[in-house]
Amino acid sequence: MPGFFKEHLRPLAGSAGLHLALLAILAGAALHWTSSQPPVELAIEGYVVDSAPPDRPATKSQRVEPSPKPQGDSVPPPEPAAEEATQRRAQEAAAAGRAAREQREADQRAERAAAERRRAAEDAEAQRRAEETEARRQAAENDAQRQAAEREAKRKAEAEEVRRKAEAAAEAERDAALQRRLAAEEEAGAAVSAGVMDEYRRMLAQTIERSWIRPLSARAGLQCTLLVTQAPGGTVMDVTLGACNGDAAVRESITNAVYRASPLPAPRDPRAFERRLEIVFKPTE
Amino acid sequence: MLLMAAASEAQLRLDITQGVRDAVPIAIVPFGGQAEGATTEVASVVANDLRISGRFAPLERRDIVAQPTSGAEIRFEDWRLLRADFIVVGRVEPDASGLAVSFELHNVRTGARLLSGRLPTTQGGLRSTSHRVADLVFEKLTGLPGAFSTRIAYVAVDGRPPAQRYRLIVADADGYSPRTVADSTEPLMSPAWSPDGRSLAYVSFEGKASAIYVQRLASGERVRVSARAGINGAPAWSPDGGQLALTLSRDGNLDIYTLDLASQTLTRVTTDDAIDTEAEWARDGASLYFTSDRAGSAQIYRVALDGARRAERVTFTNSYNARPRLSPDGKELAMVTLDRGGYRIAVMELASRNLRVLTTSTQDDSPSFAPNGAMLIYASRERGRGALAAVSADGAFHQRLSSDQGDVRDPAWSPFPPRG
Repeated sequence: MPGFFKEHLRPLAGSAGLHLALLAILAGAALHWTSSQPPVELAIEGYVVDSAPPDRPATKSQRVEPSPKPQGDSVPPPEPAAEEATQRRAQEAAAAGRAAREQREADQRAERAAAERRRAAEDAEAQRRAEETEARRQAAENDAQRQAAEREAKRKAEAEEVRRKAEAAAEAERDAALQRRLAAEEEAGAAVSAGVMDEYRRMLAQTIERSWIRPLSARAGLQCTLLVTQAPGGTVMDVTLGACNGDAAVRESITNAVYRASPLPAPRDPRAFERRLEIVFKPTE
Repeated sequence: MLLMAAASEAQLRLDITQGVRDAVPIAIVPFGGQAEGATTEVASVVANDLRISGRFAPLERRDIVAQPTSGAEIRFEDWRLLRADFIVVGRVEPDASGLAVSFELHNVRTGARLLSGRLPTTQGGLRSTSHRVADLVFEKLTGLPGAFSTRIAYVAVDGRPPAQRYRLIVADADGYSPRTVADSTEPLMSPAWSPDGRSLAYVSFEGKASAIYVQRLASGERVRVSARAGINGAPAWSPDGGQLALTLSRDGNLDIYTLDLASQTLTRVTTDDAIDTEAEWARDGASLYFTSDRAGSAQIYRVALDGARRAERVTFTNSYNARPRLSPDGKELAMVTLDRGGYRIAVMELASRNLRVLTTSTQDDSPSFAPNGAMLIYASRERGRGALAAVSADGAFHQRLSSDQGDVRDPAWSPFPPRG
């Protein structure tokens, strides 16, 4: 599970326990060195510069070690009577230090063992979950594939039916149009119908839109005009950039869109053909 | 005048309101001065960069029949037949400083030269110079700066518990030249790039408890900036690089804090009883986005850093939205969302709150925008192992970054390198 909470809380919960244990140890040890060492909180809140080279395993010396601090040189030489007391204190300190160290090592061993068990258990759990997820995913995928195949087959059949009907309708429409055109052409000098012009414009626009690879910088608000000259067969002869508020990426992309679309489609009625086109690129979003 | 005349003569006017999102076909001709199979072939690096971006479809090497190395040698009709829209040619030459890479970009359809340049380099610097060429070509043809000279940081995990090894790795954006910058037997996580790209902040458990380090990449020098009782997690840099937002549990439960790096001043930002984590700074540095489960499940909130610090909820679409990461222009927020039963990467436009789910697998995590905003890198799962993947910001192009480094996770894309 990718949840960040879990990811962070899992290792952290363990470490929090460890941290508490460490604090407890340090609290015990602190009896001996609180006066000569800064408090634990301060020590780890400070700015610690670690000069270990990055390619080497990081040092593990961050933990504050409660090593007994040697008496400083600045302490005046002890009086003979006081010397015994000093030695006794030193011995007591050493004994206490040993005990604390042993205790600490025992705690650390126990903590490590516990951490390893915890980690093994978590790992097994994670593995089990991953396998479950994978199995579920696989099952869902198989199911989805089967359904997709069925949907695709149905879609194909429907599309085929639609296409057949559309073809029949188009055929009928072509016949009717031919009849109409023949009738119209009987009247000398008849103009190309508005419907034919609209259709030609639409065919040209669709062809160019399919060829225009929009660059990232082509946003809404863009408006660029191209003046295009085509030969009678639809071959693009020349593309000239008019007014354009786009960058170089836009200018190159729209110019190439027209060249890529060459040869441009021919109109149903040859009389609708225009040698010169004014093409305005203005994306809606 | 000429334009007016032409315009008035044109009799058919068309409006183009849409285009397609195909990859642009482009020929990257092998550079002169380089034997085939050279250690770093400029043309291969450039072609691979452009291919990874998803915006370009470089011609296959076997389809490149002629080998012009300058604009004058290009026979454009050949390349039109190969249906390339653009062509890059160039050569590697000895130079006073070592080597120089000359290159030109031409429009195959019009023959126009769009770009030419000469970049001094060395044998060792040839790969990064190639990325520069790809950056410039990308920018000229898409209108956005290329991000091929940037880097990615991620964590690789080898071995099985209890003998695991965690490495924090910095590699080129194309995955090449990986370099281990930190290495530990305890978990490393959540790398975050400083705004100048020179340092990484990250979480390390190397002392058996979590701590946050800031490491200079050039020198390797490291500073432990937070090792407070409990959890120290999810560092995020302020836009000016002077502060880190952190997740700490020192006051009981997880809350967001800011830490001034110079003065070490710690400021608590959230006080809710819920889990507040994964901070991300707004581009103006005046507010933080973060994840919180205060409403019962993880959602993203925003809190202003001055005044009453009242958090406002930002996400409402799905039952789980976490790990907010802002786009470079600050207008979009990438996140992990629970979408139809899977944890997926999504991008929300902040103004409209419109959410686009970009990925289709079920365990995606840790989205991070490329500094040009065109792509995101994220962590995914592949056959039970962590893997890195990238997706274009519109969700159209998907890439997997293959890795021989075991289990990889926690990717973070660097900012643009400082120029000069």
